[in-house]
Amino acid sequence: MYQILEYAGMVVTTIGVIFLFLGGLGVLRMPDVYTRMQAGTKATTLGAVGAIVGVGMMHPEWFFKTSIIALFILLSNPISSHALARGSYKIGIKVWQKKKIDAYEDALKKVKKEEEAV
Amino acid sequence: MRKILAVFFIGVFGYYMLAILMDFPFGIDHLNPGLAGAYLKDTVSKTGAVNVVTSIIVNYRGFDTLGEVTVLFLAATGMSALLYDGKTMNRSRQNASVIVKAGSRLLFPLIIILGAYVFIHGHLTPGGGFQGGAIIASGFLLMFISYRNYHVSHRILSNVESTAGSVFVVLGLLGLLYGATFLENIMPLGIPNKLFSGGLIPLIYIAVGFKVGAELTALLDTMLKTVK
Repeated sequence: MYQILEYAGMVVTTIGVIFLFLGGLGVLRMPDVYTRMQAGTKATTLGAVGAIVGVGMMHPEWFFKTSIIALFILLSNPISSHALARGSYKIGIKVWQKKKIDAYEDALKKVKKEEEAV
Repeated sequence: MRKILAVFFIGVFGYYMLAILMDFPFGIDHLNPGLAGAYLKDTVSKTGAVNVVTSIIVNYRGFDTLGEVTVLFLAATGMSALLYDGKTMNRSRQNASVIVKAGSRLLFPLIIILGAYVFIHGHLTPGGGFQGGAIIASGFLLMFISYRNYHVSHRILSNVESTAGSVFVVLGLLGLLYGATFLENIMPLGIPNKLFSGGLIPLIYIAVGFKVGAELTALLDTMLKTVK
């Protein structure tokens, strides 16, 4: 039983490490702030959670602690990157040149229109 | 050219790092004979704390730590005196988004618990009073930047700060009263690796944790209030 858990933990940790590597690669290679932030947040959240939960599976007595850490990362990482991305949008950092969709701008316009209508 | 140079530099650096680390015996006692070895060998039996760094900071040179706490106190006082304007100030007008507000309400108690854990377990795990206090202050900083009107009472903060500082000095004076020297360990050492061990070390670190947390929180509050 423990043997199976240990191998499963190794697999999960390896997946997490691969995602962490891809996240680092994305931060180096992506063209603008928002795409870099996406690579540095989505990939590293999954990677860190995978690595930590994998270690918890290898050592079942740590599983409770590691899942608390994973929960903390799942909460804090998206919130902080959301705040950073929103801040950089508000101070006017441009989206990369191949701009086709800017959902946040559309949403802001919609809110403004509704406020004017009221 | 620059890339080739960088790779070359990394290669040379890595080779010498490897050459140095190859000779180090791994996991052998008495790696460093002399003073450091003596600290590593005798700390647990002499102070009861398994964290050697904490035992050196709070026990062997506890008087120096009292000086550090005083330096921090003076720095906080000087900064408040410089920034105090006689008028009530507010934080900047920028509003945080709903996600940040809800998330920081969830995370704030967790951060405070982590800070308290770090300074209560200072004699068992890495960390201690200064680190735990800084973590608590960072939790308050999260609330400050997400809620514009989040208010902390400076009177309570300075009361906590002065009480904790006095507790540190009184614990030192108790050593003078019941023992021979200032800050002497007068409590039983307990069993190593348990929470109640290390004599005075956890008590002093709890006081330091409260003091540093209150000080840094007051400092951050003063520094963030820039708008009249």
